[in-house]
Amino acid sequence: MLGKNKRSITAFSLGLVLAMAIYLVPGMTSDAIAKEAFAEQVFAEEAFAKEVLAEEAVEGEGEPEVEWGQDVFYKDWEGNPLKGPVSGFPAPELGESDYNNYEFAPSRMLLWVANQQHLYFGSFVLAVPIFCMLIEFIGIRSREDDPVMAAKYDRLAQDLMKVSLTAYSWTAILGGILLFTFITLFPGFFKYMAGIFRPVMHVYALMFLAESGVLYVYYYGWDKMSKDPFLKWIHCSLSVLLNLIGTILMYLANSWATFMQAPGGIDSQGRFLGNIWHVIHSTLWNPVGVHRILGNIVFGGGIVGAYAAYHYLTAKTEEERAHYDWVCYVAMFICIFGLIPLPFAGYWLMKEVYAFRQQMGITLMGGIMAWLFIIQAVMIGLLFFAANSYLHNGMARVKGSHRYMKYCKYMILLLICTFTMWMTPHTIVMTPAELKVMGGAQHPIVGHFGVMSAKNTAVNLMITTTILCFLLYQRANKKITVPWATVGNCWIAAIFVGAALNIIFLGVYGYALPANQRVGLSVPQVTSTLTTLFAGTAINISMFKDSESYGDVQWGSQSKVGTYAIFLLAISFTWLMGLMGYIRSAVRLFWHVTEVVRDNSVDAYTLTIGEAGKMLTFNTLFVWTQFVVVFWVGSLTAKKAAAKAPEGVPVPAQQQQ
Amino acid sequence: MLPEQHDILFSFLAIVFAVFGIYVFGNVVQECREREGSNGKLWGGVFGAFAVTCFMMTVHMFSLVQADQLAFFFSTYIFVVILMLIVWGVFYKSIGIEGQSPPIIRGFFFWTTVSVLLAGYTNWLPQQRSDPPPKEAAVVGDVTMEEFAEMGRVIIFGAKQVAGQKSIGKGQCPLCHTFDPGDHMGRCPNLFGVEKRSNDRVKEDRYASSPMAIGELEPASGIVKGKPDEIPEEYRRQHGPEELTGEDYLRESLMCPTCYVVEGFGKDGDTKSPMPVITKPPISLSRVEVNAVVAYLQSKDTPGEFAAVTVPLPQDDAGNTGGAVAEESAEDEDRPVFVTGTEDIQAMINTLGCPLCHTIPGVEGAMGELGPKLHEKTNAPLRIKDPNYKGKATNTREYVRESILNPSAYVVFNEEAGELFPDGLMPTSFGQMVSVEALDKLVDFISQTEAPAGS
Repeated sequence: MLGKNKRSITAFSLGLVLAMAIYLVPGMTSDAIAKEAFAEQVFAEEAFAKEVLAEEAVEGEGEPEVEWGQDVFYKDWEGNPLKGPVSGFPAPELGESDYNNYEFAPSRMLLWVANQQHLYFGSFVLAVPIFCMLIEFIGIRSREDDPVMAAKYDRLAQDLMKVSLTAYSWTAILGGILLFTFITLFPGFFKYMAGIFRPVMHVYALMFLAESGVLYVYYYGWDKMSKDPFLKWIHCSLSVLLNLIGTILMYLANSWATFMQAPGGIDSQGRFLGNIWHVIHSTLWNPVGVHRILGNIVFGGGIVGAYAAYHYLTAKTEEERAHYDWVCYVAMFICIFGLIPLPFAGYWLMKEVYAFRQQMGITLMGGIMAWLFIIQAVMIGLLFFAANSYLHNGMARVKGSHRYMKYCKYMILLLICTFTMWMTPHTIVMTPAELKVMGGAQHPIVGHFGVMSAKNTAVNLMITTTILCFLLYQRANKKITVPWATVGNCWIAAIFVGAALNIIFLGVYGYALPANQRVGLSVPQVTSTLTTLFAGTAINISMFKDSESYGDVQWGSQSKVGTYAIFLLAISFTWLMGLMGYIRSAVRLFWHVTEVVRDNSVDAYTLTIGEAGKMLTFNTLFVWTQFVVVFWVGSLTAKKAAAKAPEGVPVPAQQQQ
Repeated sequence: MLPEQHDILFSFLAIVFAVFGIYVFGNVVQECREREGSNGKLWGGVFGAFAVTCFMMTVHMFSLVQADQLAFFFSTYIFVVILMLIVWGVFYKSIGIEGQSPPIIRGFFFWTTVSVLLAGYTNWLPQQRSDPPPKEAAVVGDVTMEEFAEMGRVIIFGAKQVAGQKSIGKGQCPLCHTFDPGDHMGRCPNLFGVEKRSNDRVKEDRYASSPMAIGELEPASGIVKGKPDEIPEEYRRQHGPEELTGEDYLRESLMCPTCYVVEGFGKDGDTKSPMPVITKPPISLSRVEVNAVVAYLQSKDTPGEFAAVTVPLPQDDAGNTGGAVAEESAEDEDRPVFVTGTEDIQAMINTLGCPLCHTIPGVEGAMGELGPKLHEKTNAPLRIKDPNYKGKATNTREYVRESILNPSAYVVFNEEAGELFPDGLMPTSFGQMVSVEALDKLVDFISQTEAPAGS
């Protein structure tokens, strides 16, 4: 798929599937495992509590030495709040002296900017080692069969690491700025957080040392360790270690945010109940972690894509253009690969939010945050448009694609219709006069598209269209020769038509059902979509066996529209990431720690959508300004000699399955 | 961002454009040096001026506050930047360069345009800022039952209502509950007729046993089911019969939602309620607030009629520790309100309490929103002509007089809420509170009120 070598394709796909499995399987099974582990833990804790109480009873005199508090989240066997020994001070009632301000901007905005910038960079530097690990692995595996491609992969991985290295220092600086902003502007709240998370913060700092050490050995040892095959494997293993440490770092930092949103391990007064694991492993910790890893992959893909797209536009030689065109494709592939499971991780997160506090979930989906989810829908629509636009434009440079190009316009038409349906709001704020004219809060005709039935139908059709587009892209330069080609094509057509009909039927049927039953229809709709993805792709790839080629992919001939589609994808994702982060954080409303530490600052209000939107745009532009600077700084180091292809070898290789 | 602070996004954009101006200047100078025949002094001067202008405008942006920054950016700055781009294009044409600007510039403009359009989209949507709820609603002086029930309504729905949008107050109830007959789209039971149901429910068999028996402790809330005398003291009922009443059921439902779960609305086989304990964080209603909500729930289905309300008013509540009630002197309490007509109009209106509910142009602080705005010079003639008008007035003065003495003669339509203003809210006792002279003065004044110019 990514190069000429078939082993590399298998290896790459295997790598991606493995990476997905590593992140998703624990997530999906964590409920069962966690419950079992938790049951044992609760049993041990209760036994300990009884022991302590018995000892106190024997002593029988004076005040009990250990005070027991009820956990705000964790429950025991019978569903009663879990008890734990009070081991910390109660949460402070914050007053005016606990907040500091600058005159030029509210403290909350400054902290938001510092936080968001650090998170953007953190996301990038965590994602790049994942790419490097996979790409280097593919390079090693294909070294014997196709040394040119192997060198290209290796060069790409090293180039990415070079950029990441500068970004890594930058991330650390932004982290320092974030820490100082937090301490200086919110000293009272920081004191409480530090009291609870003291050991975690120290472990975090030490892990940072380990991350830096491995990173420097990994990058600076690249050339030295490339010569010997055994050392090269060791080098590749270092990238696994690097990712492992990076993931732990991210999970530790996540625990602060998830604790603030859905605390556990403390009592209702905010007193620590002696078990730091409860505090770290609060209910949202796992879903946020998985969601962020997938988000990092997509964001990293978007940045690498934009980086390559920029270099593609500025490339002076054909070879360079071909290289960066190919890098764009690899980045887009990774980006979309991460994007597909992202909503499922999001659903899991929302499920946990609802399980924690239903009103928090409803505030998100039906309360003051609901409009932000409409904006999210628009952003997702933009992502689909950008991805489809890239694929359509990319198809044009593949010989043989003329057979499928004629369908693009119909796919765009379908996308426009479904996108319009997708972004139709359920209710809109109107003046009373407008309300009268329309005859109610919903329009008599268009209003029907504002409900969940229509939206589920629309988004599933959008995803299905994108999958179809991807399948056509895959087979664009292939002449199918397998004897069962007609049967295969019929199957693919049947799967897509069947899925579309099922999605539309269920959508229409949903109008006839009450709300609580209608929700259940989304499962078969999503299943139809996933069937097109897995079954459609599997049949499509199987049909490529012994296929004849219409010709190579004309790398380096990507149209400008396609290149700008990558830019659009990168901007949209950056903005979307900021938006979702804002929603996750802002749903705490006027609490620093939900229901425990109230935000008594002057900034405790929830912003209007417009104010939030301006901040998101600022954060997006600001972070990309920094990325440009970081890439420029990265390019100042001595440029390596480009990997030269031996004569007669097409560069880069043909598009495969 | 506060209005007196800078707009972060547009301050940033101003800086970026200032840097862009310098970049363009550098680019032009470099091009002129590389190509013979181009007038370096002229073009350098032009683009130098642009760079300086952009720089000066950026400095100026920092002397402005948010709204002015936006106005200046869109009225002046952006046009200077566009002009600079056009002249830059002319410069390239003039020296025979047909190629495009560097990709970094095109990328920058693409990036900025998309991002700013997204910010514009969010500003086009309805704007609603949510302030944190007060820690505890304050009750000043004695309140009537109408006012107390209204306080409960505000806790549920909030003070601000926007047409076409669900309003949610401190209690957050409308997130899940519905209140109108026939509206069963809520996630939790419809509360229409809840007063009657509350009285019936405490006698039902299901209540006695499901999901827990009367007398059992519900651990999450710490409430013993069906035992009003065991409710925490700060919320306990201090009056009325000893047996369980509808008021107890409503209070228990707020303080211990899991004590009784309406069929089909619970979790785990209707054994647990998804509703939060309303007296604990994040909602944390006080005693007075819980009583106000109960008063609203007991009276909401019978507008203007409060016979079904059993909770005491804050001033009559023996269990109210008084923290939320600011007491007035006994002398003030005993003296009946009366205006003689010798007072100035502002004092008369304030004494009668009109500003509490009405917005009255010309009266300082009269910004009430419970009743219609008093723009009678323009509104009264229209209302007399309204087919729904059943009163006897034939001119503005008569209409105003009638409205003061008999408020129900015509109930004004609330354009913002899309419904009539509540009938029965305005006292009918003004006839006993004003002298004839005072009434004439009031009628004279109110007949001349009209919307301020430009509003």
